[in-house]
Amino acid sequence: MATARTKAIRTGYLFVLPALLLLLGVLGLPALVSLLLSFRPEGGGGLSLEQYRFLLQDSLFHQTFWNTGLLVVLSVAAHLGLGLAVALALNLPLRAQPVFRLVALLPWVVPDVIAGIIWKWLYNPLNGALNDVLLRLGLLAAPLDWLGGRYLPLVSVILANVWRGFPFVMLILLAGLQAIPRERYEAANIDGATALQRFRYITIPGLRKMLVVSLALDTVWEVRRFGLIQAMTQGGPGSLTEILSTLVYKQYFKFFRFEYASAIAVVMTGVLLLVSLPYIRMISREE
Amino acid sequence: MARSEQRRGPMVALGGRQQRSRGRLRGLGPWPFRVLVYGFLLVVATYVLFPFAWMLSTALKTEAEALAIPPTWIPGEPTLDGITGIWVRKNFGVYFFNSTVVSLATAVLSVFFGALAGYGFSRFHFPGRQVLMGFFLATQMLPGVLLVGPYFKMLNAVGLYDTRTGLVIAFLTICLPFATWTMKGFIDGVPPEMDEAALVDGCSRLGVFLRIILPVLGPGMVATILFSFLLAWGDLLWALCLTTSENMITVTLGIARTVGEFRIIWPMLMAGSLLGGLPAILLYLFLQRFLVAGLTAGALKQ
Repeated sequence: MATARTKAIRTGYLFVLPALLLLLGVLGLPALVSLLLSFRPEGGGGLSLEQYRFLLQDSLFHQTFWNTGLLVVLSVAAHLGLGLAVALALNLPLRAQPVFRLVALLPWVVPDVIAGIIWKWLYNPLNGALNDVLLRLGLLAAPLDWLGGRYLPLVSVILANVWRGFPFVMLILLAGLQAIPRERYEAANIDGATALQRFRYITIPGLRKMLVVSLALDTVWEVRRFGLIQAMTQGGPGSLTEILSTLVYKQYFKFFRFEYASAIAVVMTGVLLLVSLPYIRMISREE
Repeated sequence: MARSEQRRGPMVALGGRQQRSRGRLRGLGPWPFRVLVYGFLLVVATYVLFPFAWMLSTALKTEAEALAIPPTWIPGEPTLDGITGIWVRKNFGVYFFNSTVVSLATAVLSVFFGALAGYGFSRFHFPGRQVLMGFFLATQMLPGVLLVGPYFKMLNAVGLYDTRTGLVIAFLTICLPFATWTMKGFIDGVPPEMDEAALVDGCSRLGVFLRIILPVLGPGMVATILFSFLLAWGDLLWALCLTTSENMITVTLGIARTVGEFRIIWPMLMAGSLLGGLPAILLYLFLQRFLVAGLTAGALKQ
């Protein structure tokens, strides 16, 4: 009996081992190298906190950090808001539901580089479609330079990012809505609950898990976002749309400040793991 | 079998609701509400589709027309110059080949090793199982920029910089954890009795995995391969940092480079975006019913 169990345990390890070794090699090793690199002074040997000290004083890092925060918070909030609204609408008995769900998914399906390029062209001040539409509708008096000026570039990038990201949240929440047993609504109807009460006491609790999942995954993806920004603005003009991932890329591959780039990446990783910890625990615990 | 398990939740709900709407004609409520809902969905559909329409329209324009002020909405004289241009003036065929080979190799490797590990996690309750599974999940949260720098140096050191093989190794970091969790979810849906029956017949554990489990997982496995394929297909960061020559770069990098050029030929770039996005769109249309199950990695189970 005991030997059968130890044998089963060993077999379990053997199945997991190849993937684990592969993952430790292709992922664990470079992650460790980055971590070590971030504790090295520029060009020298030994260990120091120099990079992290510099990071605290670097105004470019500060701006990038806030840009990223703003991009992530606003994008995720908009994804959830719009995603929930569309999911609720699609959960009604509509004949067009399957078609609409397919169509709404399209922005999320294309590579984010391509989404960025399409929007860059849409935003083009002279030949772009957006100014043309808004001018024709009388909503704008003069063409707007969407990716220029002080505040507009980040807003424009976020707008494109909302377009690209909300379908995923919509899809997850729609699946969550459809999994809520209909009997609960019927019982509530018999008890004379108003629509608002049904939403508050049945829909929201029923969706809680899906809300957590989409919130966590979406936040992680948006913090890591790279292709969309790289294609649209490359962090410019100046550093107005610079986000952490584009900054690390620049520091490493353009300015060759390997140690400093690593320190930024390590901070970014810390934030990501903190944000996703509740999600990881929730999912792992269910097993 | 795994497939029916995965599909049960949303599909049953969908079927149930359709029946209900047929039974109760006024399911959507009074007409002002109906108008409101359809109006809202129409606005959203416009937001979603307008950029695509603009891409398509530009892809079919001549360069002169694309630069017209004010812009035209429908190409005056539709042309395929943009599409042929991207194939002739850029090595788009080569990029396409690279993207396909790299993404496919990544997907198959990740799903095979992911399925092995997924089987281990699903069937054996060994000590440290939960921690290891948490580790696999946590690696999905790491940002690419943390890894890509060391990768650049490591691949250079072993002579794999600017090769498709190097890119495949790098993409495994994204796809393997994802595939492990997804495959575990699918394997959970296969009753362990099937394993035991085969074991009694004298099959080894590996034999059970290869001959019983993998065949049953068919659709789920194909779905995971295709998702992994698309994860790799959509990447820019790794291709940008780990490849450089015209013979090795991917579609996304090829397109991104075109944006960086001094003079952007928009119809060509939009044609490239169209062609680069099309495989993803087609695969997703085909796969969308697996989408939720695959992406939430078991979180959907009720």
